[in-house]
Amino acid sequence: MNKSMLKAAIGLIVLAGLLVVPRFVESPYALHMMILLFLSVSQGQSWNILGGYAGQYSVGHAAYFGVGAYTTMMLMYSRQVVPWVGVWAGVAAVIVVALVIGSICFRLRGPYFVLASIAVAEIMRLSAINLTTLTNGAEGILVTEIPAFKIGERVVTDFLTKVPFYYIGLFLALLTLAITYWVQHSKLGYYFQAIREDQDAAHSLGIHISVYKNIGLVISAVLTSLAGSFYGIYVGFVDPPTVLGLDVSVQIMLICIIGGMGTIWGPVLGSLLLVPLSEALRSNMITEGLVKIGLVSADSKVGLFLKENLAHAHVLIYGILVVLVILFMPDGLMGFVKKLASRRKREAA
Amino acid sequence: MAVFLQSLISGVLIGGVYALIGIGLTLIFGVMRVINFAHGDIMMVGMYLTYLLFTLMGVDPFVSVLISFPLMFFFGGFLQKVFINRVLNAVAQNQILLTIGLGLVMSNTVMLIFTSDYKILTTSYSSSTIQVGGGVSISTPLLVSFLITAVITAALGWFLLKTDTGQAIRATAQDRDAAQLMGINVSRMSVIAFGLGAALAGTAGALISPTYYIFPQVGGTFTLKAFVITVLGGMGSVVGATLGGILIGITESMSAVYISSGWKDVVVFVLFLLVLLFKPSGLMGKSRT
Repeated sequence: MNKSMLKAAIGLIVLAGLLVVPRFVESPYALHMMILLFLSVSQGQSWNILGGYAGQYSVGHAAYFGVGAYTTMMLMYSRQVVPWVGVWAGVAAVIVVALVIGSICFRLRGPYFVLASIAVAEIMRLSAINLTTLTNGAEGILVTEIPAFKIGERVVTDFLTKVPFYYIGLFLALLTLAITYWVQHSKLGYYFQAIREDQDAAHSLGIHISVYKNIGLVISAVLTSLAGSFYGIYVGFVDPPTVLGLDVSVQIMLICIIGGMGTIWGPVLGSLLLVPLSEALRSNMITEGLVKIGLVSADSKVGLFLKENLAHAHVLIYGILVVLVILFMPDGLMGFVKKLASRRKREAA
Repeated sequence: MAVFLQSLISGVLIGGVYALIGIGLTLIFGVMRVINFAHGDIMMVGMYLTYLLFTLMGVDPFVSVLISFPLMFFFGGFLQKVFINRVLNAVAQNQILLTIGLGLVMSNTVMLIFTSDYKILTTSYSSSTIQVGGGVSISTPLLVSFLITAVITAALGWFLLKTDTGQAIRATAQDRDAAQLMGINVSRMSVIAFGLGAALAGTAGALISPTYYIFPQVGGTFTLKAFVITVLGGMGSVVGATLGGILIGITESMSAVYISSGWKDVVVFVLFLLVLLFKPSGLMGKSRT
């Protein structure tokens, strides 16, 4: 059996495994973790297309995530538009936003582009706070009941359990993965990479830079918007800081950077590392673990302090990881793994 | 007219503090070509330092500048030596990411220690004002902080123009390689510049703490403001950052009065985008070709 067949076989087995998980796993918490993982993969992968392949470091992806989430939720909340229709309205809105942002920000390079992308996302966040009649302002939008999804008269799913969300999330993650794979192996992807490596050289070779940057942005923004809508429907609540905040942009970007930019599996690796870690912090699992192995007593000052505060600081892990990654493995986990593999190969030869 | 004058004056006063943040950022950029995304978070550390000094030892926030300036200087120097120095030759994106990461570590560590509650530092003069006549009044803490800012800015100008170290810093900013060839210890200048930048940001934090909420996430807004100020003034220009700070202060207070306080930050960001589009070299910057 050759290597690519082996890879395909492993892929199929993993996929089949993921497809049957909800049949055997009943714990809602386990499903919740998987859904978060899928969401993270699709976020990271969306950013990867623009940031990793085309080399345009957007620190404003919250704009697309938030506009997608808000459009779907607003339509469901005030116009009773079912979410699987609202999602496409969100996509349409995001395309418009992305093209406007692209036409402004792509005239700028390097750090100036980064700054402009942040500024645009912040304008979106502040607008969501201030346009209270549309968005409910800082209160956010809460939707408690999602209408059942019907085809004709047949109810496909009523969204009462986490299972439908699991499959939607899985589909979204696979979709973004497939699109990244396609980008990497298509002419479009080669154009992106040429722009990333040397914009002026790419231009002199006849690549229409601003057109391709905008194409990359629109693909990336649409996928991010889908992830945003999915998040909104799944959680049932959006407000400006949770979907439009600067933290959101940074987290989306870090999934990809910690995992490895410009690689197909980087964002997957990044998500596999980040989601369990930050969940463990958020749910106080680490504190409980420390108590269990007897390092910290539960009633002591330190124990109470950790229990009280560690949950709020789950973003700390993102910060520490990104510092370590930049200093010690600038190509991300994926690059580090590849380097190790090639070293082993060399030693073997 | 009184309303106009009132908002103009408070704009200039708060702009002085903004200028201090902007000068720190522009100094770091000038010497190292690194955009410090942790700048607002460094300022936040300065705010908490002031808060600690005030609550534990009863040191007045304005007096505490004398303690926090040197402490923040060493903190900045430490950051430069341990972290920033390693990415000086890396691509700009990695430098940005590193400073974003450092900012996250700072804000979340502070959150771990102090929780995310809003803290208020109430002094006897926090809400006192001076009447100037014509219905215009000046907030005492803002006026004092503006005066301190002016003194610090003047001292910094003297340091950069007249002292040997200051001139070495300016030489490094102008041309790193040439400065090195002239026998300037550029890596030491980088440590000093980052230390100064951090000290200025920390001081700004101390100065606004009597009039502003203190919370771990306060840095983000100020990082963005610092960028707007430095880009407006021209990256690397100290005079530009001073002007930019005051201009942003005035823009904010004018739009709070004449548009609405909710939209004032939007006005600032739109202005920022316009500057980036039409005059990316800023008011005082030389255009780079």
